[in-house]
Amino acid sequence: MDDFLIFDGISKSFSNHKVLDNVSLTVKKGEIFSLLGPSGCGKTTLLRICAGLEEPDSGRIILNGEDITDLSPNKRQVNTVFQNYALFPNLSVFDNIAFGLRISGMKESGIKDEVYKYLEMIQLTDHARKKPDKLSGGQKQRVAIARALINKPKILLLDEPLAALDLKLRQRMLVDLDNIHDEVGITFLYVTHDQSEAMSLSDNIAVLNEGLVEQVGTPTQIYEAPRTSFVAAFIGDTNFFEGDVIEVNEPYSTLHIEDFTDVLVYNDKKIRKGDRVYLSIRPEKFTVTLQKPQLPESYNIVKGKVEEIIYLGYHTKYWVRVNEYLIETKRLHDRYMLDEKMITWGDEVWLSWHADYCYMLEQYNMEDEALLTLPDEEIMAEIESESGEDE
Amino acid sequence: MSLQGLKKRKSEVLISVSPMGWLFIFFVIPTFLVIAMAFRSADPYGGIGEQWTLNTLKDLRNPNYPLIIWRTVWLSIISTAICILTAIPAAYYISRIKKKYQDIILLFIIVPFWINFLIRIFAWKVFLHPEGMFKQLLVTLHISGPDSLLLYRPEAVLVVIVYSYLPFALLPIYASAEKFDFHLMEAAYDLGAGRLQAFIRVFIPGIRQGLLTAIIVVFIPALGSYVIPDIVGGPSAEMIGNKIAQRTFIDRNLPHASALSAILAFAVIIPSALALTRRFFKEKNSGSLGI
Amino acid sequence: MKRSRFPFYMTIAILVFFYLPIVIVFTQSFNASRFGGTWKGFTFDWYFKLFSDKNIWHAFSNTLIIAFSSTAVSVVLGTLSAFALYKYKTKLQITHNILVYLPLVMPDILMGISLLLFFVSLKLELGLFTILLAHITFSISYVAMVVLGRFQDFDYSIFEAALDLGATWWTAVKKIMIPYLMPGIAAGGLLAFTLSLDDFVITFFVSGPDSTTLPLYIYSMMRHGSPSVINALSVIMVLFTFVVVFISKKLLEVKE
Repeated sequence: MDDFLIFDGISKSFSNHKVLDNVSLTVKKGEIFSLLGPSGCGKTTLLRICAGLEEPDSGRIILNGEDITDLSPNKRQVNTVFQNYALFPNLSVFDNIAFGLRISGMKESGIKDEVYKYLEMIQLTDHARKKPDKLSGGQKQRVAIARALINKPKILLLDEPLAALDLKLRQRMLVDLDNIHDEVGITFLYVTHDQSEAMSLSDNIAVLNEGLVEQVGTPTQIYEAPRTSFVAAFIGDTNFFEGDVIEVNEPYSTLHIEDFTDVLVYNDKKIRKGDRVYLSIRPEKFTVTLQKPQLPESYNIVKGKVEEIIYLGYHTKYWVRVNEYLIETKRLHDRYMLDEKMITWGDEVWLSWHADYCYMLEQYNMEDEALLTLPDEEIMAEIESESGEDE
Repeated sequence: MSLQGLKKRKSEVLISVSPMGWLFIFFVIPTFLVIAMAFRSADPYGGIGEQWTLNTLKDLRNPNYPLIIWRTVWLSIISTAICILTAIPAAYYISRIKKKYQDIILLFIIVPFWINFLIRIFAWKVFLHPEGMFKQLLVTLHISGPDSLLLYRPEAVLVVIVYSYLPFALLPIYASAEKFDFHLMEAAYDLGAGRLQAFIRVFIPGIRQGLLTAIIVVFIPALGSYVIPDIVGGPSAEMIGNKIAQRTFIDRNLPHASALSAILAFAVIIPSALALTRRFFKEKNSGSLGI
Repeated sequence: MKRSRFPFYMTIAILVFFYLPIVIVFTQSFNASRFGGTWKGFTFDWYFKLFSDKNIWHAFSNTLIIAFSSTAVSVVLGTLSAFALYKYKTKLQITHNILVYLPLVMPDILMGISLLLFFVSLKLELGLFTILLAHITFSISYVAMVVLGRFQDFDYSIFEAALDLGATWWTAVKKIMIPYLMPGIAAGGLLAFTLSLDDFVITFFVSGPDSTTLPLYIYSMMRHGSPSVINALSVIMVLFTFVVVFISKKLLEVKE
């Protein structure tokens, strides 16, 4: 009973535009599985196909061993929390939550107990008689979740459930969602474009891009071992390098990177001498120092010049120029000494990092570099978030 | 087409067929019938002749008709202009006051138009009547002589057309003005525009959708006016509508009435159909429903 | 910057313009003088004359029969039409859209004569039935537009949510879509009803000798009867309109 929900080769096009291209995924029972990707990647379509609101052009959906591909939405034991809540405006909170039970023909006395149980869970017992338009965004969200969960679906689909909430509320709802999941133990299929939501909530994440699955894995796997340049650039920040293998050794081989330096990398993939290899190195893996550090041989060291600095309180971002490469690095302020000489614009600095931190990508696409943040974009983003716009 | 597509198509046709069928039978066919009848001759007994002919259309060259058509057009243009020009400042005023007062004024504007159309026109006949109070007042104030007529002249028709259709101009213009962002006016003042300049160069373009609707909903019914000139206008204020009714009910010359109607129909239908097709495509492109 | 007072004065002027003739009709209905050049004393005579007129009641009942039945049919057809226009964006619906809009811009007199010609060529006897057909025809478009307006704000995902929660297509229509549309359907129905009560021109063309409606009767009184009796009738109709609108407003509020 491990593979609870299976998408098997799902394809879907809208007016000749391919939204999903032969997507296959498996979701385990009881887990929170996220579909993560930018808008237009097909994640919502996949969720709607699972709910029965769209029909796939080809492929099957198996839920708990049963093929549900051709079932209409009302016959599926699947419920959805819609992005804009989709609460029935003409029904009270109570009647909204009771809707599914009434449809299934449950007795009115049983409905009342059941609804109040869920109202209690979402802490809205006092609001039972209110119409949805009298509720706040967070309350509507909770009603939408209760309305779906009360039917005891085999799987709960959540379509960007937090997108319409403000930042503070989003963080609180994230905790609430996690608690609710622990309480009911139902499998969640969670659609989001927000990597931090996906990272903090999920057991497993599927990263989608232009209708294709880029990678499936735990949050740690996705972050630390991105399979493709898209995953590396979409989740967190990174630096890309392109090099040729000049020496293969165990456990570390040497790459020659044009315009940069020769780099020692860990052999996490099978490589041969002369291969073209793409690397992803996360900014926080670099250590930036004014003096040349004394380090063992398994470290890489390169000299550069600081071009841009953004101070963010808990850490600082430095963009360091090494020939053609502008490398993003991040330094945590885990210790702060007043007398320490600060790194500043134009300083000559040493970048050092361990060979284990160089991660070889299986697939590289130049277009994905557009996803990397450049210093000026970063500054703009900071200004926006300070003026209270958190999207 | 996929099976699902066919199913969807079937339910679409099933839903659309009854309203579309009704409108086709009782609107499209009769309209084409009017145009067809214009090419028939009249028989002397008030019926429709058997032959196809161009004579009916040729009869329209009768010097009477161009005069009436011309009068119909200028009365419609002037009344539309008056409606628009008075509605703009009023809509501007209403959209700038508190929402609560807006609703009250709108209610006051709509209320008189719950009254039967004929009775509203009749009220004007009473108001402008030669023995009525208003006339007496004008005579007392020496504004008008005791023998001059207020009724039965084109000006009376004009006033009543404006009275009847002004709310239809006011409401769409108000709807646009209400959505208009008045900060744009402040921005215009800030950039050195005067009050009138800001009004003409920022406000007017901002409500152009409402203006367009207002022009259509006043001008087209004005062209087709029949009851208004019939009741408050005399022979010197006849419009096409009166002639159509005369040919239908008095002379029993249906082909003649059809020929006049066909002219009116072409004047109305072609521009509105064009405007509609454009709007539908615009809506379609700007946001598909994703259903 | 000081605001111009001109828009304010214009608004006041328009309101005075709108109410002046009505006020005159009200006062004249109690004036003993026939044309009311001068006030010749207060009287209820015109009202008594009005109520003793049997024909009026006959015309009134004809009007109500037409109004109720044309509203019932046009509400159904207009709502179907709005649903199709909202849900499907196909070539068929472009035609449908034009078909629904055109009657709105068509001058009454054209619709009147075209329906007359149509009924005459079908050799249908002119009477209440032909009036009913005509009223349904012009009401459909108004109902469709009003209901479509309500549809524009309809969030289709609440319909999907109902399906998702186990409702069948028809249950979702019945329990979610129709209750949501109800204010729009009621408003469209009310509009169709008033338009039917109010219509003179089209009715004038398609009516027969025995199918006089209230507006037709008012028209013949204007031509041949005493104007003061019409003043009295106007006052009663105005009051009647107010009562109907007031009650329907209250009913809608209770529903909300």
